[in-house]
Amino acid sequence: MKKAILYLNQFFGQIGGEDKADFPPEIREGLVGPALELQKQLGEEVEVTHTIICGDNYMGSNTEEAIDTILGFLEGKEFHIFFAGPAFRAGRYGVACGHIGKAVKERFNVPVISSMNEENPGVEMFRQDIYIFKGGKSSAAMRKDIKKMAEFAKKILNGETLLSAEEEGYYGRGIRRQVWLDPPVAAADRVVDMLLKKLNGQPFETELPIPPRDNVPIAPSIKDLSKATIAIVTSGGIVPVDNPDKIQSASATRWGKYNVADLEKLESGLYKTIHAGFDPTVANQNPNVIVPLDALRAYEKEGKIGKIHEYFYSTVGTGTTQAEAARMAKEIIVHLKKGKVDGVLLVST
Amino acid sequence: MVKKIERVGIPIVHIANLVPVAKSTGANKIVPSFSIPYPFGDPARSEEEQWKMRYHIVGVALDALTIDVEEQTVFKVNI
Amino acid sequence: MKLELGNFYVKDIVFGDKTSYSNGILTINKEEALKVVMEDEHITEAELHIVKPGDRVRLVPVKEAIEPRVRVGGGPLFPGVTGDLMQAGNGRTHALKDCSVLVVGKHWGGFQDGLIDMSGEGAKYTYFSQLKNIVLVADTDEEFEKREQQKKNRALRWAGMRLAEYIGSSVRNLEPEKLEVFELEPITKRTKEKDLPSVVLVLQFQSQMEELGYNDLIYGWDTNRMLPTFMHPNEVLDGAVISGSFMPSSSKWSTYDIQNFPVIRRLYKEHGKTLNFLGVIASNLNVALDQKERAALFVAQMAKSLGADGAIVAEEGYGNPDADFIACIVALEDAGIKTVGITPECTGRDGRSQPLVTMDPKADAIVSTGDVSQLIELPLMETVLGELESLARDGFAGGWWGDEILGPSVREDGSIIMENNSMFCGDQVVGWSTKTVKEF
Repeated sequence: MKKAILYLNQFFGQIGGEDKADFPPEIREGLVGPALELQKQLGEEVEVTHTIICGDNYMGSNTEEAIDTILGFLEGKEFHIFFAGPAFRAGRYGVACGHIGKAVKERFNVPVISSMNEENPGVEMFRQDIYIFKGGKSSAAMRKDIKKMAEFAKKILNGETLLSAEEEGYYGRGIRRQVWLDPPVAAADRVVDMLLKKLNGQPFETELPIPPRDNVPIAPSIKDLSKATIAIVTSGGIVPVDNPDKIQSASATRWGKYNVADLEKLESGLYKTIHAGFDPTVANQNPNVIVPLDALRAYEKEGKIGKIHEYFYSTVGTGTTQAEAARMAKEIIVHLKKGKVDGVLLVST
Repeated sequence: MVKKIERVGIPIVHIANLVPVAKSTGANKIVPSFSIPYPFGDPARSEEEQWKMRYHIVGVALDALTIDVEEQTVFKVNI
Repeated sequence: MKLELGNFYVKDIVFGDKTSYSNGILTINKEEALKVVMEDEHITEAELHIVKPGDRVRLVPVKEAIEPRVRVGGGPLFPGVTGDLMQAGNGRTHALKDCSVLVVGKHWGGFQDGLIDMSGEGAKYTYFSQLKNIVLVADTDEEFEKREQQKKNRALRWAGMRLAEYIGSSVRNLEPEKLEVFELEPITKRTKEKDLPSVVLVLQFQSQMEELGYNDLIYGWDTNRMLPTFMHPNEVLDGAVISGSFMPSSSKWSTYDIQNFPVIRRLYKEHGKTLNFLGVIASNLNVALDQKERAALFVAQMAKSLGADGAIVAEEGYGNPDADFIACIVALEDAGIKTVGITPECTGRDGRSQPLVTMDPKADAIVSTGDVSQLIELPLMETVLGELESLARDGFAGGWWGDEILGPSVREDGSIIMENNSMFCGDQVVGWSTKTVKEF
């Protein structure tokens, strides 16, 4: 009988929501939350013996400690496979799954399987280290995502031939290996057919994808800060209390610009955060912890900077797609240019 | 968003807590923040100490706007 | 230029009194054949074996493979190499199909030599496990290179060519079982193909060594000492080019590979239907950067001047040759010519290394025929022709003496561990390969 252990965050581990994101790691015997579905999908062949639960912020802010603690839990336990998630689009959860997954793989050398949506930053960070299956956008995909994780786990444990990443359904780990095509197709035919497609403007698929070079050319530095106009852009969701632009608390497609020309700082009660991805208490009590207007004003008074741009720009980062973020940035840039902004501080949460 | 803004030539500093994520998204100048829910705050400290930390991080970020770099750079903060 | 290839499909090979071919049976007089081999006094000893698909035989170090053929009208099989210069690709040549002459060293292997398993798990790694093979196992007095990792293997390779000519002569006057005709009209005189997209095939022959004797030869001329030039595909199919002795074996195009070049054959099939096959641009893989750039210049200019709409670039190698591969593709694309490349990859033992040493987004259409780095473990094989120890001892590209984790390539129990790199012509870039490379 093969054994497995599952890692969950505080929400799926049924501890609590954002308010419990600091939950320190715990290991429970038996099944909690999605572990039940996982066990169902694994069937008789594999037993999920334990569920590990850890708060996303705890893992994010105390990564080393959290990992050490969890590895300690696992020491001496018998397990042949480790699961984490599924994390869908939850960025901190995905990154947490990646951190612990990678550590478990390195220490115990067992297959580690997770699942994340392509927008989850955990994918790019950890796809090389563990199997991350292509997952849905939200927990509505829970069953489907767990099924994929479970099916693959059974394949590994049964010693079945594993197909390529694309064929199995996980994000490529950057390992390229030769395989025989089934049915066999000779390279001579593949190359001439590919050429004919290319010549005729038809779509074709290269067998050796060249990864795109994604470096942004470094923008020239500010020569004279004392004359510069500085703007703040944030994905931390700081908005006037009535959220006049109706920016969504997650998966945002809208952004807002808010006039701070006459303000020394952002007052509690007048501004708040609408970001659903973290505990808003502290930010609501003092919005300057996300949009540091007060500190920037001080520098303006000192003459370190020329002036603060009359607006700060805000949206919500959680769940927001890269495509949407790119579009919003394009729109914001129009205003930055109009305001002759010389430099930007972009604050993420 | 960082890349889009930088691509049009406006110098930009990305202040974020999860530095590896910032690196992965491709920002060229990165300044670590204190935490996720309160990048420039810390409820465990006094108002005065929080202000000092905020002032410090913002200062590092402003300086970073003026510093030439050859590649992705994470600037040091004392927090 | 019109080439008539008359094919004879060998069903079995036996030793007998008279070297002859009849009803699919190829008979070889061993004594006579060995006399032909020993014509070169540098050959000190030689044996001949016949091995067939399914035999429990491992061959190593394998240096060359040649298809036995004969020029019906007379003349050397390899003009400028085994005899006087003459035009190749025009006239009638008879070929013994489904078989090859394999040249194996009695003892000494090297960087450029390879391995063939005729059965078992290892058989799939080379094309030659599918053929019936006349195997020459011989040793030479070439002391200067006996212990060298880089070998010219000249005596052995020329002996193989002599043997192939001798065996091929058995079908000189017979009526072929199948006649293939390869004909292309002079480019500017073509009318039917005018409206079809024009295509050139760029062949980057191995030419990495700066000293003569190691590189592929075109009509006997060292490919390192040439600038890209225009050739008729018939010339390539009919003995104008022979393989060299340098490239790590799996990326090598043996003379057999070149004589049969599946990509050329497929282009011929499409000619007049979906494309206009202009011809072959023969290029090379020199080591110096300016030589690579110069070659790319010539390739792109020739293709452009010929009016090519599309091109296929094939490299006989990996490593620094990737720079030539990419340079040619980019130069062709910049000249407005839609290009597809065909190549093996080298992804390292963990599979994570950049597959080509340089990459360019303009190389957006590549067929990958294999991964030279892949580790292969094989059990012992009852019969070894050659010397098994050579795989570990003699500096094969894919074999080693000792490795902290993997141990030696050749173990005491006769099992082996090696890289795909040393599977004889295993990556079959000339077009047979049914392998590709995928991400895991």
